[in-house]
Amino acid sequence: MRTPVIAFVAALVCGSIARASGGLPNPYWAPGSVTATGAKIDVLLNTIFWLTFAVFVATQSVFVYYLVKYRRRAGVRALYSHGNNRLEIVWTAIPAVIFLLLAVVGNRMWLDITSGAPEDALKVNISSYQFGWDMRYAGADGKLGAIEVGKVGLENKFGLSPDDPAAADDFTTMELVIPAGRPVHVYLNSRDVIHSFYVPAFRLYQDAVPGRTITWVWFEVDRPGKFELACSQLCGTGHYNMKAPIRVLPPAEFDAWYAEKSRAALRARGGPPGLAPRVASSVPSDNAP
Amino acid sequence: MNTLTAREIPHVDDHAEPGFVRKYLWTYDHKMIGLQYFWTALAFLFLGGGLALLVRYQLGWPNTSVPLIGWLLPSSVASEGAIVPGGYNMLVTMHATVMVFFVVMPLLIGAFGNFLIPLQIGARDMAFPLLNELSYWLYVLSGCVLLAAFFVPGGAPGTGWTAYAPLSADGAYNGTRIGQSLWGVAIFINGLSSIAGAVNYITTVVNLRCPGMTMFRMPLTIWALFITAVLLVLAVPVLSAAAAMLFCDLNFGTSFFKPSGGGQPLLWQHLFWFFGHPEVYIMILPAMGLASEIISVFSRKPIFGYRAMVWAMVAIGFLGFVVWGHHMFVSGMNIALSAGFSVSTMLIAVPSAIKTFNWMGTVWRGSIEFTTAMCFALGFVSMFVIGGLSGIFMASTPVDLFVHHTYFIVAHIHYVLFGGSLFAVFGAIYFWFPKMFGRMLSETLGKLHFVVTFICFNLAFFPMHNLGLGGMMRRIADPPVYEHLKQLQPLNQISSVGAIGLGFATFLLVWNMVAALRRRPDAPANPWHANTLEWTVPSPPGHGNFPVTPTVYHGPYEYSVPGMDQDYLPQNQPAPEGVRLAAH
Repeated sequence: MRTPVIAFVAALVCGSIARASGGLPNPYWAPGSVTATGAKIDVLLNTIFWLTFAVFVATQSVFVYYLVKYRRRAGVRALYSHGNNRLEIVWTAIPAVIFLLLAVVGNRMWLDITSGAPEDALKVNISSYQFGWDMRYAGADGKLGAIEVGKVGLENKFGLSPDDPAAADDFTTMELVIPAGRPVHVYLNSRDVIHSFYVPAFRLYQDAVPGRTITWVWFEVDRPGKFELACSQLCGTGHYNMKAPIRVLPPAEFDAWYAEKSRAALRARGGPPGLAPRVASSVPSDNAP
Repeated sequence: MNTLTAREIPHVDDHAEPGFVRKYLWTYDHKMIGLQYFWTALAFLFLGGGLALLVRYQLGWPNTSVPLIGWLLPSSVASEGAIVPGGYNMLVTMHATVMVFFVVMPLLIGAFGNFLIPLQIGARDMAFPLLNELSYWLYVLSGCVLLAAFFVPGGAPGTGWTAYAPLSADGAYNGTRIGQSLWGVAIFINGLSSIAGAVNYITTVVNLRCPGMTMFRMPLTIWALFITAVLLVLAVPVLSAAAAMLFCDLNFGTSFFKPSGGGQPLLWQHLFWFFGHPEVYIMILPAMGLASEIISVFSRKPIFGYRAMVWAMVAIGFLGFVVWGHHMFVSGMNIALSAGFSVSTMLIAVPSAIKTFNWMGTVWRGSIEFTTAMCFALGFVSMFVIGGLSGIFMASTPVDLFVHHTYFIVAHIHYVLFGGSLFAVFGAIYFWFPKMFGRMLSETLGKLHFVVTFICFNLAFFPMHNLGLGGMMRRIADPPVYEHLKQLQPLNQISSVGAIGLGFATFLLVWNMVAALRRRPDAPANPWHANTLEWTVPSPPGHGNFPVTPTVYHGPYEYSVPGMDQDYLPQNQPAPEGVRLAAH
């Protein structure tokens, strides 16, 4: 009776081997990882996959073997046995050790991943709303300017403070443009309901919660390319299509793009370039690691 | 043992055949209340399944007219027969709410809990018959309130069964203030029904066991339902409170969950999942109990490790209250907390593993008869293993960063809730139908039902693992709008075909039941040669269950005892002279 599952898994394995030989890094059709943390997560994912796969094959085949071997036959009586305490201890202890090991290994990696972005990371403030994304870059001074909730409006989506010189060269976009090979530190917030930042190729999911800024998220994409930023938290009617393009550029190309955007922002605000920044980074943070 | 027994309850019995209303609609007989739950929940099963098929149709063939029934759909759900994104959200929300609160819980706990608890512990009825009937009608009322949401301005709620605030807490965000409010009211009333039922079950199990029925002679079904009832009493009030707060946020301008007024969106998630995770076990423990019973009977073997089975369920009950944060690893909750919840989540997998090994130990060296009930119970074990193993992926915090909120979790929950809970329910229907209605179900039709269900189930839900790892988000109405999901569309279509087959397979069960009910009663008192007390009385049992209060002499799983001719020993019969029963 269990043949469909086994056939399915066999098909999955064969398919995966075929695909793996074609250069894909995993047996289950996941998009290839393009970040350093993604590669680490894939190692753990693969470990858990092969571990559970082995347990799956072992338990199901023993189960099916028993079902066939001990099917009812004339004259054969079942064994009268209420169990075996030694066996109970064995099959309690072994899974417990394996599961605790997995928890320890997983949590070490988790704390490593979430332990804060490198200092030199490119700072991007990503603000989500029903149903889209706005990105804010720090501009030439490398500092995200102060924001004032009261200033948020259609013209000033982030509520940039007119008094903070660090805000003068901040610029906003509707696509996420980032350099390859350089860490990117995301400050994530939401203007209405909970959304989430999800990019499968980055192996990264994080909710954006209104009323606070999530500050732990950072990643480093190792190659130029095009991706899509998806909202993966049900946020209303337009949720299914709440996405933004992600462009990962070679570093030189990115620098040129960044400088141009920054200059344009300054020109638009009419402010003089080169003002000494006053505020280091005024993004409100209640979730710093 | 210092407990009140059924024998001491004053017994008033007029023995007159009650009229239609007193027999079927307002009855104090736990068996009839169980059947009321049974039929109502089955009706909801078809409703919830229909909603699921609409969801699957949209995912397989987005934005095309739904064949045959498209014109029936309300304008909030579909336009010219094609499902609109907002309507899709409503279908998803209502499907899950119906299945969790109006199908699986009522079937396992309302139907089988009510029917089996007094019968298996040798009681004449529940401790509080009036409360019992009230609990059923509260359930019906909550169902009406929920379904009314389809017909109010704005339509049904579309915020998912988890109703994350502040989307759910503000009409300006969700556009369905009235529907969402009705959802809250329905959940609240449904909660009252659950709490009333749970209090009744606990009291009954603690106080009304017949002489000799010690706690460790109770069938595992009763243990499972007892622990479930304790979980219900502890978890459901939290959800009720959260639903009331949500209602106030929606209608009275409070800001429990709205940051604009100083509220905390994450508070909703903590309250919801503090209920929601025990809820997962509320929906699987009774299924484990039912499956254990069936597997032991048709292996003709005592359950392997009875006490280990009980303690594993107790452990699940305790640990179930300290794992809720694993739904919130990436919610913005403190990330060190996530690490802690990851450890407790890994730990709760241990008792589930213990149970699986004990089921395998039970069939080992058994004399296995593959009745339909047994096939479903074995299918339950097999599918539960898959659902359990896929849970390990999400319990690992870094992997959750990747698979959180994808179809991987949708696959996981359906392997546990359908492959687990519903398979056990199907098995239980084939097993106890003779006792409930006095008629045997057709084994041929039953086997066909099992085979088609088993194949279509895996066809529908296995590809979802790949969809999730391929990066498909939950609750998106139109996957191909994303570049990386276009290539996965064939998997979505395979899954949809499986789901449609699964839906039609369930009609085989209905056909089987209707055909059986049209026949003359033919079920003997003990068709499966089982040991528990319900099989010692006629099928169906008469009013008051037991003509004479039974006395229990041993545990419920004394099968194939050496030295006896017959391979079973009902609980109300002492072991014959010279036969020694092993301790369990």
